[in-house]
Amino acid sequence: MGSDKIVQSAGKAGTLSEEDRAFLQDVVERDRAEHRGRVSYMDIMFELEHHYGNSLPGEVLGEVARLVGAPASQLNGFVTFYTMLSTKPRGRHVIRICTSGPCHVTGAPAIVTELKRLLGVELGETTSDGMFSLEASSCLGICGVSPALMIDDDAYGNLTPDDLPRILAAKRAGGAT
Amino acid sequence: MKMFSTQIIVPVDSNSVLQGALEVKHVLEEMIGAYNLASQVSVVETGALGIYDQGVVLAVFPDDVYYGGVKPVDVQEIVTEHLLKGRVVSRLVIDRNLSNRRLVEKETGKSQQKIVLRNAGLIDPQSIDEYIARDGYGALAKALAMQPGEVIQVLTDSKLQGRGGAGFPTGLKWGMVAKEQSDEKYIVCNADEGEPGTFKDRLILEGDPHSIVEAMTIAGYATGAHLGIVYVRGEYFMSIARMQKAIKDATEYGLLGDDVLGTGFKFDIEVYRGGGAYICGEEFALLESIENQRGEPRNKPPFPPQVGLFGKPTVVNNVETFANVPPILLNGSDWFKSFGTPTSAGTKVFSLSGDVVNRGIVEAPFGVTLRELIYDFGGGVKGGKRIGFIQTGGSAGTVLTDKYLDTPLDFASMKTSNVSIGSGVILVASEDVPLLPFLEEVAHFFWHESCGKCTPCREGTLQIKAIMEALVGRTADPDALSRLGRLLNTLSNTSFCGLGQAVPLAFESALRNFPEVFDRALAESHVPEACQEEA
Repeated sequence: MGSDKIVQSAGKAGTLSEEDRAFLQDVVERDRAEHRGRVSYMDIMFELEHHYGNSLPGEVLGEVARLVGAPASQLNGFVTFYTMLSTKPRGRHVIRICTSGPCHVTGAPAIVTELKRLLGVELGETTSDGMFSLEASSCLGICGVSPALMIDDDAYGNLTPDDLPRILAAKRAGGAT
Repeated sequence: MKMFSTQIIVPVDSNSVLQGALEVKHVLEEMIGAYNLASQVSVVETGALGIYDQGVVLAVFPDDVYYGGVKPVDVQEIVTEHLLKGRVVSRLVIDRNLSNRRLVEKETGKSQQKIVLRNAGLIDPQSIDEYIARDGYGALAKALAMQPGEVIQVLTDSKLQGRGGAGFPTGLKWGMVAKEQSDEKYIVCNADEGEPGTFKDRLILEGDPHSIVEAMTIAGYATGAHLGIVYVRGEYFMSIARMQKAIKDATEYGLLGDDVLGTGFKFDIEVYRGGGAYICGEEFALLESIENQRGEPRNKPPFPPQVGLFGKPTVVNNVETFANVPPILLNGSDWFKSFGTPTSAGTKVFSLSGDVVNRGIVEAPFGVTLRELIYDFGGGVKGGKRIGFIQTGGSAGTVLTDKYLDTPLDFASMKTSNVSIGSGVILVASEDVPLLPFLEEVAHFFWHESCGKCTPCREGTLQIKAIMEALVGRTADPDALSRLGRLLNTLSNTSFCGLGQAVPLAFESALRNFPEVFDRALAESHVPEACQEEA
């Protein structure tokens, strides 16, 4: 939730294509129908993040603010609060490595060290080829198979440092298409 | 209806999928087809059994044989030997007592009680028919035939207390909402399970989602609410999907909607998602998040039963609390009170993690001890090592030595023995795990998760983190420990909400139980030269 995430302010609403605008309107209206006239920013932001490559461009937030009738500043405040959302450009795949207690006790520090070495980045950074963003995460709730991490929607458990090259290679291969 | 002579249960949940449960199930179904057994053998996907250190588990009924560590290549042998010839494949057999169906069954006579997890691992969580076949929605039908006040009275008499950590009496909470005069009221299920080491709500949502739908609908009827909201962690993809399917199926069956069970009572449920913020487990922060705000707590009072979601009276209960409601209504409050201790009725679902042989979920009556949980269910510490420390209750919980192994765990144990039960976390660290780096991680966690609204928590967690880093790096100044003590005192007394107030638990208990570790770190510390005047 650090303030370092605020790199693009919401509100620049001039640079979207007609196609983008139609898409955003559709996302908001679908969500409104699902929540009986209300909207859930979180649902909308998850869908947009997925669509726009794991981050939320400022002009997209500006247009959504207009569609839901909220100040752009409120939307900006919302997305910069929640760890799963990012206004900062991220890689094609987001790696969330759990560092909380149960994973820590069963070997997460070694996993973090090895991931940093393999990817050549620190926590919170993106690889130069734009493939992976490495993020530390609080407990993922899969402590039965700790240490664990998630890459996008996929979880991996009972990890050892030796497992990591294979996991990254598979993601790299799958993600290149 | 088809009759199958043999049933094979494959537990599929977020933990077992990671071990290859879906691949095994797929191969099993193919083999059964290939050997023409499809008319005799059914393969049933269930929720979690709650045991994860035996790899993929298959249970064959009625033979009552449990196979563990099953790989896709083992499946053919199970099919040709066991299913075709009736010969058990002994090399794969595991102790079926490990299944949480029979947890903590031991000489002390405190046999395991499954109230919350009554269906998890037994039914297909995606089948509303299987839920109904196990008395599902029976409690709702019973409740709808009672007066709302009578429903609340049963809960009050049962002495059910909230399972999210605070232990507030559920019947009292519902009664407060029921007596508010308002045209709009809400039922909110707190499924933002984020306390590190807790994975019980995930198992309930993945293994028995209809129990939550049923309980929330009962709560709606009892309090006069017509909309329920389940706020699920954003990372819990399977929980979200199963909850959504359960809501859809219940609506199709007339168990939700404008005319629940033909009684004219209207109730609907929606799913909202969290965004990875621990603070949203705090009830007001959670409500703020549903209202599209940053998850920051509100001033109390007024409390949610008076002014809650969208400013209306609101029940906020934890997943596990809700899961207790249908069995209480079906079996009565005296039945429920027959489990547990005088201060704490019923059972608690514990999440056992860390360096134990069998990690997983255990449901046991209140009064169970750490020794029973760690050794009887957990099988002891991995590699036959000794316990280094145990953290109970979560990161916002107590750090203990093995002297506490025989303390009975219930809502009173924090007061009587300084053992926090919190959300039911039992995290075991072996003697090989150093304590201070662990506490440094706990400090880092709270620093990251503090919402920033109030100064004591925002700045205090940063300072605690700095002190822990200095102790780990042996660069602490001589005043570090007394400063830490003052900080902890400030946080617990002046933080705005429960997050900041609970931060000190881990550090205070560690200082109390492991003073020598802190003293040694201080004694070995020297302030870096760059920070010294004379350098």
